[in-house]
Amino acid sequence: MAAGTASARQRIDELQAPLVNPGETDETLSLSMLQFQLKPAPRGWWLMLMLGLSGVGLLGIAVSVTLYQGIGAWGNNISVGWAFGITNFVWWIGIGHAGTLISAILLVFQQKWRNSINRFAEAMTLFAVMCAGVFPVLHVGRPWLAYWLFPYPSTMVIWPNFKSPLMWDVFAVSTYFTVSLLFWFLGLLPDLATIRDVSKSRTRRILYGIASLGWRGSARHWHDYKMAYMLLGGLATPLVLSVHTIVSFDFAVAVLPGWHATIFPPYFVAGAVFSGFAMVMTLIIPARRFMGLKHVITERHLENINKVILATGMMVAYGYLMEHFIAWYSGDQFEAFVFQDRRAGMFRYVYFLQMFCNVLVPQIFWFKKARNTIVIMWIASVLIQVGMWTERFMIVVQSLHKDFLPSSWSGYSPTWVDWSLLLGTMGFFTTAFLLFLKFVPAVALSEVKELSHELQHGGHPGAGR
Amino acid sequence: MPSLEQKKSLSLPVLDGQGRLPARTLWRSPEEHAASQAAPSAGDISIASPEFPPGAEPPPEFTSSRRSFVQLLGAGVALGAAGCFTKPGEKMAPYTKRPLDLTPGNALHYATCQTRAGIATGLLVTAWEGRPTKIEGNPDHPSSLGAAGVFEQASLQSLYDPQRAREVRHRGAGSALRSFQLELSAHGQRLRKDGGARLRFLLEPSASPLIASVRHELLSAFPKARARAYASWSREASYEGARLAFGAPLEVRYDLAQAAVIVALDADFLSNEPGSLALSRQFARRREPTAEMNRLYAAEPQLTVTGSTADHRVRVRAAEIARLALAILAQVNPAAGAAAPTLPPEQAKWASAAAKDLSRNKGRSAVIAGERQGPEVHAIALAINSALGNLGKAVLTHAPLVHEVRAGPSEVRGLVEEINRGEVDTLVITAWNPLYAAPRDLGLAEALAKVPNVIYTSLFEDETSARATWFVPAAHELEAWGDGRAHDGTLTFRQPLLAPLYGGVSEVELLSALLGETERTPYQRLRELHKSKAGADFETTFTKWISDGLLPGTAAAHEVHALKPESLRPALDAAARVPAEGLELVFAPDYKAYDGRFANNAWLQELPDPLSKLTWDNAALVSPATAKRLALESGDLVDLELRGRKLRAAALVQPGQADECITLPLGYGRTATTEGVARGVGFDAGALRSAAAPYFDRGLQLNKAAGPAHRFAITHSHFTMEGRSLALDVNLMELREHKPNEELEEQRRDHPLIYEKIPYAGNKWAMAIDLSKCTGCSACVVACQAENNIPVVGKEQVEKSREMAWLRIDRYFEGPLEDPKVITQPVACVHCEAAPCEYVCPVNATVHSDEGINEMVYNRCVGTRYCSNNCPYKVRRFNFLRYNDDYTDVEKMRFNPDVTVRARGVMEKCNYCVQRVERVRIDSRVAGQPMKDGDVVTACQQACPAEAITFGSLHDPNSRVSLLQKEERSYRLLNELNTKPRTWHMARVRNPNPELG
Repeated sequence: MAAGTASARQRIDELQAPLVNPGETDETLSLSMLQFQLKPAPRGWWLMLMLGLSGVGLLGIAVSVTLYQGIGAWGNNISVGWAFGITNFVWWIGIGHAGTLISAILLVFQQKWRNSINRFAEAMTLFAVMCAGVFPVLHVGRPWLAYWLFPYPSTMVIWPNFKSPLMWDVFAVSTYFTVSLLFWFLGLLPDLATIRDVSKSRTRRILYGIASLGWRGSARHWHDYKMAYMLLGGLATPLVLSVHTIVSFDFAVAVLPGWHATIFPPYFVAGAVFSGFAMVMTLIIPARRFMGLKHVITERHLENINKVILATGMMVAYGYLMEHFIAWYSGDQFEAFVFQDRRAGMFRYVYFLQMFCNVLVPQIFWFKKARNTIVIMWIASVLIQVGMWTERFMIVVQSLHKDFLPSSWSGYSPTWVDWSLLLGTMGFFTTAFLLFLKFVPAVALSEVKELSHELQHGGHPGAGR
Repeated sequence: MPSLEQKKSLSLPVLDGQGRLPARTLWRSPEEHAASQAAPSAGDISIASPEFPPGAEPPPEFTSSRRSFVQLLGAGVALGAAGCFTKPGEKMAPYTKRPLDLTPGNALHYATCQTRAGIATGLLVTAWEGRPTKIEGNPDHPSSLGAAGVFEQASLQSLYDPQRAREVRHRGAGSALRSFQLELSAHGQRLRKDGGARLRFLLEPSASPLIASVRHELLSAFPKARARAYASWSREASYEGARLAFGAPLEVRYDLAQAAVIVALDADFLSNEPGSLALSRQFARRREPTAEMNRLYAAEPQLTVTGSTADHRVRVRAAEIARLALAILAQVNPAAGAAAPTLPPEQAKWASAAAKDLSRNKGRSAVIAGERQGPEVHAIALAINSALGNLGKAVLTHAPLVHEVRAGPSEVRGLVEEINRGEVDTLVITAWNPLYAAPRDLGLAEALAKVPNVIYTSLFEDETSARATWFVPAAHELEAWGDGRAHDGTLTFRQPLLAPLYGGVSEVELLSALLGETERTPYQRLRELHKSKAGADFETTFTKWISDGLLPGTAAAHEVHALKPESLRPALDAAARVPAEGLELVFAPDYKAYDGRFANNAWLQELPDPLSKLTWDNAALVSPATAKRLALESGDLVDLELRGRKLRAAALVQPGQADECITLPLGYGRTATTEGVARGVGFDAGALRSAAAPYFDRGLQLNKAAGPAHRFAITHSHFTMEGRSLALDVNLMELREHKPNEELEEQRRDHPLIYEKIPYAGNKWAMAIDLSKCTGCSACVVACQAENNIPVVGKEQVEKSREMAWLRIDRYFEGPLEDPKVITQPVACVHCEAAPCEYVCPVNATVHSDEGINEMVYNRCVGTRYCSNNCPYKVRRFNFLRYNDDYTDVEKMRFNPDVTVRARGVMEKCNYCVQRVERVRIDSRVAGQPMKDGDVVTACQQACPAEAITFGSLHDPNSRVSLLQKEERSYRLLNELNTKPRTWHMARVRNPNPELG
């Protein structure tokens, strides 16, 4: 996008609603945005943490049972070799996508409104990828040998099979996690230094001092920091596309009807961004309310998120439409059967739920009133995540349960361990997120301050920070 | 560290039930000896444990200290040095390979046999260092021809079954074998005083000359004693039918090589009946699309293996078969005086077409009556065969092979009457579990309570053993010497493979104990009995017989008999009677449990029924129309009531079942037994049986019962192919005229492949499976299970679709579900050249060998299950749980040492019996000869009685598999995926009668 258009667009945006409330100074911003980190945690935070920790406990039990008994503790069978495990994996990875998209792509495209929510979204990415990472390890039959998927020089002189999409997954997800972690941490440095500076207790000053890697805010620091941040942003940008593209290869590369589809990469990426933004919405609404961040995460942000949800939701709906169209148009009887079975088979209610949540619900954001009503958007965001989970469930389980030979058709029903793993990772996510909110500035202070300066002093948007 | 027990076991040729060496006990001092003989202290729990019953040797002392370990190690060395290993007391001759001595790591093969319904099937048993691991057919034996059925093969599982009876019981309390033998000899002496007037025997039907000689001796010693035989599924009607037709009970057997047209009247001759392996072979050889191809008509109440193979099948309720038979007779031979009965149009059409076809093939056809049918139907079948001139050609008659031609409920009735008259003091039972197997209305259970001495022997402690005064564990057939007769009368020998694991005795030993003969072993008896048949050099000749497993040239010849119209006449009249109306209940021997004697066999329990694909259960089979009328669905509980006898069972809707007819297979619903596998599985059909109508009856009341639906574990529940081209069939006429068959051509077509062609080294292994020959009998499935150490996972896991069978038989229904055409299709890994499983495995655990076998590297597998997801044939099996970790030491003896036992979390599948390929490769290298076509025989191929499976190399253009794959009815399953399978299926050829269309 040309700089001129961008600035024109921005001016129009500014007329609509402020990105940072006017009249904020650096000091007021620092103190207001760090108040949650500096003061004792409120009771609500503790309650949520307890809830999250219960989930972690449940996760611990479910993981132990899985390791002790084997995959037999799950509902998987032949022919449904993958079920909740891979569904959860794809779902969590997808949720992570919004973080990278907001941090990297919007950074590269200089979308200013991202500055208040990027830290938030990046943390979400990290924790979601951690949750996702549980499943590939846990879902294998012999998890203690899962390291064989890494190409390390072994005495067995056997390399992994580089033709396998699971192998690609290993690289894609580990790269994604590493880059996301670096990106997040690098962005944190100035803010960690700010906490160090405003902290009153010595322990905090030491701890945050170590964490901020000696940041002093010199011009040289800022110069290198900006350069590194931009470079990492540039590195992370293709990852937004690549990770879910490669995850979609797990399915698209297979011969199974319902999996074997060229539309999967873009369709998966769109779905990932869709669910990721929905997750941002789900988390940010309570966070801005209870952490007093309404002045930096404004309704304008929320509305923009809703627009992205609407756009990606339409892409996802197009994907569904094309899947059905191709199933009919290809004349492939196996493919046609799978999609017929989605509508009429044993999982049809899951399918209808998916269609409702992913196709119908986002349509509400055509209306400005819905885009600006907190309750509506929160409920919609939760529904969209449910919808995206059911979508992955349908792709994984429904396609597997009735494939080529009717003789091997089977059913599927999850066990308590399956449900516990799903709820448990949610608990882990909640816990990690609450700890993040408490100990790390949830909004990128330095970037908000910068934005605030730019807005107050006219700024120079095309200057390329 | 492996336990000391295991270490000790390594050097032992034969283990006993506790995994111990049958050696004498050593004492280090007289005190120690005295202590070991003293009464156990109260705190000694090992005595109370069922593992070491009274009478057994005490368990070896074992503490885990280093000191005791060294002590025992020293003792072990001393034992070995002193030459204390017990040598087998008697000579067992190897069949095919005769090494100078036993070479560890090389299997030996021994000829032996097994008997069911009195008829012996010759077998070849593979043993590794004294452990039998695989039961195969004896190629020289006329009843086997190299094939083995499911029961024979699975009996290996029963041999090692840890639930087998181990303890001699006297009035329920544990005793010792020696005291039993002494007691029985003494008792025999007492009985001799009145000539055994109050002594009765209830024996298993048998054709064994050895048993006959013991029986003869017994009846000489106790002239007033009486022996009867009983079997739940007896062949009485066949003998009685011959008596009606020819005036004498005769054995009727068939030579289907001579038959162009076969009519089966409720006869499942391809599966359960004696000689079915040989009949399957003869039948299948004429299922190739040549001018010689036979045509099979089947009329039956429930879908059977035979019926599903038939060209024309008609659903007829069991009670109406007689009239159908009469209609055929009336048309084939109007002079017979049979009035043609009026039949429903469908049956009439079938009968008329069959009769015309039979008349066109005089002397080249066979009409076979089933064992369920009464003597009249057998008599009519003989009359038809006689009128067609089939006797002496496809239908042979001769004197009965079994000692007692009567073995039905009437025999038990006679016994009960004698008991009730107080005429029985001692009853010796060797028939299998008569309290369960005999119709309950005979009152055998109540009668037994009145007999002071009941002596019973069986493999398991069951319903009957609980009522016996003396119960003696029986030796398994692989543990005892014996003999028998093949279905054609050939003398067959049975040699034991190992000493009784659980200290059982054979039938001969039990009976001779009564004669006071404990010293003369069955082996000695066998030698003495057959001494006269050998020439001068008895030792050499006898050794050869034992090693061959049979005495060739002893088959019974056809005897010519003339029809006896005077006795046939009443039979025709009886058959013409219109049966009473009402819902019919039909009993059937189960394909897995038979009459219940195999119910504790986990392999068989988990084997899917050939037609319903049901595991771990039986069910009240009901036709779709009747189910609709009664508002039943599969799994619904129903209360069945037949003349006051009641049973609650679960219904299963079965396509092909006759309307208004419920079939309930026998052998399930066991309760009073130590058979933990069998207990509580299925429904006891025997509760509804009566002595008057033990095979089928009318007047059944069926009421839907309240309660949650029964959960069936069915491995293949979908009926149709959904219009897909999977298991193909063609008509003989179309094939012969070379009519283009688009479906077949599409599945044969070569698709381009963008990858470079791989030159396969050495051999290019491939398989052809002929659906035209496959009957779905499932012998191959059990063979694969035994060969490849495939675990049994249990009902709950099968319900979750986690069964482990590498080879399954898909069964599809075509056409109307009421009366469908059936096609069975064995599917194992097809070894795709472009295998979808291989490229998705992230750790290279499934790879192609240079000879084109898609191999599974268990050690490398981490268990992502991606390969299974991407397998279009879904032939891969995953160890979801620790399916292999809970075996006792004795059960572990069963495993084939050439095949890895897989761990939890590992994928597994068919690998073309790669261990057999490698064995042949090693042997051929040692011999310096190249591998020849036919050298490698896979386990499934070997077991198949119909020769439907062929294995070989495609590099040899003249190998059988190359030739078969070139045939125009060969095709690749799911060809459009271009996976390039190495296993090709061959379309089933149907040979319909043009008249019936």
